[in-house]
Amino acid sequence: MNDLDQLKQLLFGAEKQALDQIADRVERREVRTADVSEVLSEAIARSYREDEEFVESLTQPVGDCLRRAFRDDPQTYGDALYPVMGPAIRKSIMHALRNFSQQINEAVEHSVSPQGLKWRWQASRAGIPFGEYVLQKTMRYRVEQAYLISRENGLLVGHVHHEASRIKDSDAVSAMFTAIQDFVKESFSPDRTGRLESADMGDFTLWAVHGPHALLVCVIRGMPPKRLRTDLTAVLERIHFRYGEAIREYKGDTATVPEVEVELERCLRFEARAEKAKSGRMLPVWMIVLLLLLLAAAAFFGFRSWTHAQQLASLEDALRAAPGIHVTDIERNGSEFAVRGLRDPVAISINDIAASVDVPVERVAAEMQPFQSLEPEIIAARAGQLLNKPDSVQLSVVGTTLVVSGTAPAAWKAQLLDDFRMLAGVDTIDLAGLADETEPALVTVPKPDTAQLLRDRLEDLNERRFLFDEDVRFAADHAEALERHAIALRQLQVDADEANLSLVVTLTGHTDGLGSPAANTILAERRAATALEVLTRADVAAGVAAQPAAVTAGSESRADPQRRYVQIDLQLQEPPEVL
Amino acid sequence: MTRLTSKVCVVGDFAVGKTSVVERFVSNHFSAKYLSTVGVKIDTKEIEQSALGVTHKLVVWDVAGSDRFGDKEFAYLRGASGYIFVADGTRALTIESVKTIQSQIGDKYGDAPSVLLLNKRDLTAEWEVNDERFESLQASFNGAFKTSAKTGDEVEDAFKRLAQLIVENELRGK
Repeated sequence: MNDLDQLKQLLFGAEKQALDQIADRVERREVRTADVSEVLSEAIARSYREDEEFVESLTQPVGDCLRRAFRDDPQTYGDALYPVMGPAIRKSIMHALRNFSQQINEAVEHSVSPQGLKWRWQASRAGIPFGEYVLQKTMRYRVEQAYLISRENGLLVGHVHHEASRIKDSDAVSAMFTAIQDFVKESFSPDRTGRLESADMGDFTLWAVHGPHALLVCVIRGMPPKRLRTDLTAVLERIHFRYGEAIREYKGDTATVPEVEVELERCLRFEARAEKAKSGRMLPVWMIVLLLLLLAAAAFFGFRSWTHAQQLASLEDALRAAPGIHVTDIERNGSEFAVRGLRDPVAISINDIAASVDVPVERVAAEMQPFQSLEPEIIAARAGQLLNKPDSVQLSVVGTTLVVSGTAPAAWKAQLLDDFRMLAGVDTIDLAGLADETEPALVTVPKPDTAQLLRDRLEDLNERRFLFDEDVRFAADHAEALERHAIALRQLQVDADEANLSLVVTLTGHTDGLGSPAANTILAERRAATALEVLTRADVAAGVAAQPAAVTAGSESRADPQRRYVQIDLQLQEPPEVL
Repeated sequence: MTRLTSKVCVVGDFAVGKTSVVERFVSNHFSAKYLSTVGVKIDTKEIEQSALGVTHKLVVWDVAGSDRFGDKEFAYLRGASGYIFVADGTRALTIESVKTIQSQIGDKYGDAPSVLLLNKRDLTAEWEVNDERFESLQASFNGAFKTSAKTGDEVEDAFKRLAQLIVENELRGK
């Protein structure tokens, strides 16, 4: 080390050492890397915060890195993206299936309806599948927004939208659409003649219709039909016709295009077809079929119920009309008929009656108790069985008389005269119609026991007295007692008639001793007449003669309630002649 | 108040701070991702010009800067009512680029009101434009402003000046 070096060492030794360390730090790559790594994250964050162009500068290299990484190692990135892609794919598939299902539903719905048949015919004429035709007819769409944009500068000339539509800054949307339009034209159309005419965005479709000076951009919800473009073109042509020059010179002053929104509003009228709306109001086919089935079922069960009711009524009428049968209850259990009551063993069977009115025998359940009927037809039938009637003999019953006709041996006839008394309900026998060697005659022989019975009843009812208060007013309860007595007399009279006897009824009026004899005679007659009216109302008047009497002999001239009465006397008389 | 809408394009070299300047001014804006995809970003700003009786809406087209201002970028400028030229005051070369583009726009679309923003005035130590140069630039454009997107200095003034020029231009046109 020479003097100069020693001097340098003395003067700049420390600085040189620092410089050497810096040089070493700069020259050594690993040290530099370590230094940069310390500040790299902070530098990136700061640059990103302060200048957005940092993003621009990174976009390209990062994009390239990602592309290369995906290309070189797709498996790794596929695994990493799997949790994201799975749900996204499922969602997409579900959306597609939902649409597909809806399309099938519509196709099925329209396949059997009158509208569907009409479309099927039209589809065959057009030479396209029916499903495709249904889709065309059932597509729903609506123009949600319409932008009229100057082609020169991208400024918004007019904008209309449905109230429910969400819109951002329409001027910015207009400008951005123009920018994208220019971008597409410059990027993908070498001769710059191409233009952006449609774009799909989820549920929306964006259509652009190009005019000489303006661009009509419509945001459409759903799938628009192709003819809509023709309609929109017509709207744009109309706008050009009316505002063409103003739009060409448009510099952002809306006053130069007055009421252009009115023209644009026409675009918003384009929406779902009326047919779809109409079909929405119509009942679905399956519902119509179901209603028809229900109506048919209701008609069937209603008719069956009506038929059963008619059969029940017919059966009941027939049973009640049949002699020897007394119905106490008849009802319908579903399709069966339950019959309860009484039936004479010689009467027609329940099943035969059911068959006569076209009621199936197996649907009739009868619970009939046996009894003995006194109806003439049944008595006659029973007589035929008991008397061992020859075929040549006909029997009938009129009242209580057994009428015998035809021809019969003398022995059977003799036996008949002995045996007919066993028949209940038969008192006499008429043999006038029975051909025999003997003279036909009607033999009427009252039964001894019947005549005696009548006399016994007469004794019970004879010489009854019914008191009066004053004048011709009955005493308490005696009017009712006389009415009951009249009914009993009527019954006795009928029975006596049947026994070929006549009942003679005599009413005698009485008074007490008050008043003159002439007045009392009149009063007695009036009381008898009053009682006679009661008997007359009970049909006992025939053959009855009132015999009012004057004051009974020996009566004192004083009031006596027990002597104010009418007495009814009875008498049975034999008939004038017996046949 | 008359309603007027104008297209304004922001043009400048790469990394001069165009987007930051626009962010300072506008109220409604799209995502910046359009810059890197489509190459332009649209923002809007409404200005009340009471003196002129105009409610003025500026539709600001922020055209991405690039090494070469190509056909696509020029297509974006079509029909603009005014221009915001942005240069970096710390990089004097960016002023030349702006002047070149201005000339090309004039040739292609004709004259239109324009202002120049010399951005990044907060970086005073690195400022490369002296007062004489600045004066001459004011003459070349319809106004020149030393702006800072970082502090917001003169950004609003520059846009309002351009808006005023546009309205006056429109009124003269009528």
